[in-house]
Amino acid sequence: MANIAAQRIKREFKEVIKSEEVAKCAIRLELIGDSFTELRGEIGGPPDTPYEGGLFVLEIKIPETYPFNPPKVRFVTKIWHPNISSVTGAICLDILKDQWAAAMTLRTVLLSLQALMASPEPDDPQDAVVAKQFKENEEMFRLTARYWTSEYAGGPNENQDFQRKVQRLIDMGIESDRACVALSAYNWDLERATEQLFS
Amino acid sequence: MFILDLILSLWRSLAGLVWFSNQNFPKSLSVYIRSNDGKKLSVDLDPKWDIKSVKEIVGPKLGLEAEEIKIILAGKELDDSTIIEEIDLGEQSTVYCVPLDHKGKTKQKSVNKILVNLPEEEVITFHVACSHCHGIKHGKLRVRCAECKSGAITVDRDPASWSDVLNPSLISGHCEEQGCAAGPVAWCEFYFRCKEHVSADDIAIPLPLIHANLRSIPCLACNDVRDPVVVFECSDRHTICLECFGRYASIRLRERSFVFSRQYGYTLACPAGCEGSFITEPHHFRILLQTEYELYQRFAAEECVLQGGGVLCPRPGCGAGIFPDDDCNRVACQCGYVFCKRCLEGFHIGECGERDSAAEGGTSGGYSVDPARAAQARWDEASKRTIKVSTKPCPKCRIPTERDGGCMHMLCARCTFEWCWVCQTEWTRDCMGSHWFG
Ligand SMILES: [Zn+2]
Ligand SMILES: [Zn+2]
Ligand SMILES: [Zn+2]
Ligand SMILES: [Zn+2]
Repeated sequence: MANIAAQRIKREFKEVIKSEEVAKCAIRLELIGDSFTELRGEIGGPPDTPYEGGLFVLEIKIPETYPFNPPKVRFVTKIWHPNISSVTGAICLDILKDQWAAAMTLRTVLLSLQALMASPEPDDPQDAVVAKQFKENEEMFRLTARYWTSEYAGGPNENQDFQRKVQRLIDMGIESDRACVALSAYNWDLERATEQLFS
Repeated sequence: MFILDLILSLWRSLAGLVWFSNQNFPKSLSVYIRSNDGKKLSVDLDPKWDIKSVKEIVGPKLGLEAEEIKIILAGKELDDSTIIEEIDLGEQSTVYCVPLDHKGKTKQKSVNKILVNLPEEEVITFHVACSHCHGIKHGKLRVRCAECKSGAITVDRDPASWSDVLNPSLISGHCEEQGCAAGPVAWCEFYFRCKEHVSADDIAIPLPLIHANLRSIPCLACNDVRDPVVVFECSDRHTICLECFGRYASIRLRERSFVFSRQYGYTLACPAGCEGSFITEPHHFRILLQTEYELYQRFAAEECVLQGGGVLCPRPGCGAGIFPDDDCNRVACQCGYVFCKRCLEGFHIGECGERDSAAEGGTSGGYSVDPARAAQARWDEASKRTIKVSTKPCPKCRIPTERDGGCMHMLCARCTFEWCWVCQTEWTRDCMGSHWFG
């Protein structure tokens, strides 16, 4: 990797370590290896959102052309959000694409992602299924997102009903992630989810 | 007085010996002296001398007393006490020597006094694009009469900003050249020379965005405080070091993502993405390596053709820009290739894209044909079809790209766009799924 990118990441890494958000446990950054090309980010689910109490892990890859081009960021932790793919974790956020500017940093990216978690933009979706649910049945979206937070991000779980439905599908021999995706996509209608899984 | 002179000359010759033994310093500086009546002589000066000593040498050669002349460099009369090595007088520079007018003109602040008042860096860090040296170099500011182009002119006021220097007819001067049509009062014309090489007439292009980093601003990209820096003309005056600027230009060139502006040409904006921050002097891109700069020039020319409604010849290795007639789809390139303006395939009659089906439809129509000609025609058709399937234009930059092997995933060698041979659009996961190879 070219020197400038590595040097910049070194500094940004220090900046995040010292930042007050880290002090408040809202974001974290870790280096993977010593090449400064790959990092692991962590974002705490923002309060008063279905993601509260969860811890979301990000994969951050630094291109050789950094900081003139944005870092490549993806959610490793599965998340139910209109702007994040429930399958791949790919993120639709303008500053990670054409609105990136060389003056932005990893700290800006982590804080922007946290802001995106707090206020989804369903009109510019990454995951059409989630966006549709968000627009048509926001309460169902909130319950689903909260269930995903408990299932994948270590959040608290109060939803016995959803858990039971997932267990029913597991009992039928469906793998748990697939069961969760199918139920979420069909607004937790067990019959329709089953139909889709076995069709 | 005599003893003093003796000591002085002794010291000079000693100093000369010292310099002679030290290869790093030139023992003498060879410069041209021009008088205002066109005489030109070459003299060797010792860099340790003051201007008074220069006058003593030069005056008699021009038939004048030392006290009767003044010496002008870069629009300023040089003060007697100025030491040559303190001013930016390069090898084979020209200084002007003109007789004093005895009307008792108010004495000018000399060029070196002005330079002394400025911080050291400001003096030495004009940057220029030099076509001779291929790149960004240090430059020196010079001034001449706008009318007769003679350097025997003194400025009426010092340039205070880039606009004073770049705009003609802002600063007047006193032209000493005999027979100047405008003189004695004439407009001053500022220009730059490259400091890296000796030349009598290469004019270098000034790069006003490059500044000495007197305020110690850290680079936007690498955060280091470097010198010099490029300061963009956005409202925040974003600052980036020269090395990062070079990387920025090189990355955007490889992505072919420079912006074409009608006003400023093929250029870049501030890397922080600010409005109205285009680089207006494209010679700043001389920061690129010479091969990259040549590529930049080619892309710029191509972009200019495309933006102006022209097309690029699709024949591999040609790529000439052509402005076709509005009402005709047939374009003939001077390389001999004739193609369709709309689809950039070989020229055809009828709708674009229909040729395949027509050609493959085989025998159609009931007219009789000469068998020999028909055979030849098939041969032509066959060979044309091979050309057609083995090259297709890149959907982004239109350069014809050849496919070797069976993979449909194309990488444009020119603009690095990844595209699909079948769809002729950006390469997607769908392409991988449905026709990765074939
Ligand atoms: Zn003149
Ligand atoms: Zn820099
Ligand atoms: Zn800017
Ligand atoms: Zn051609």
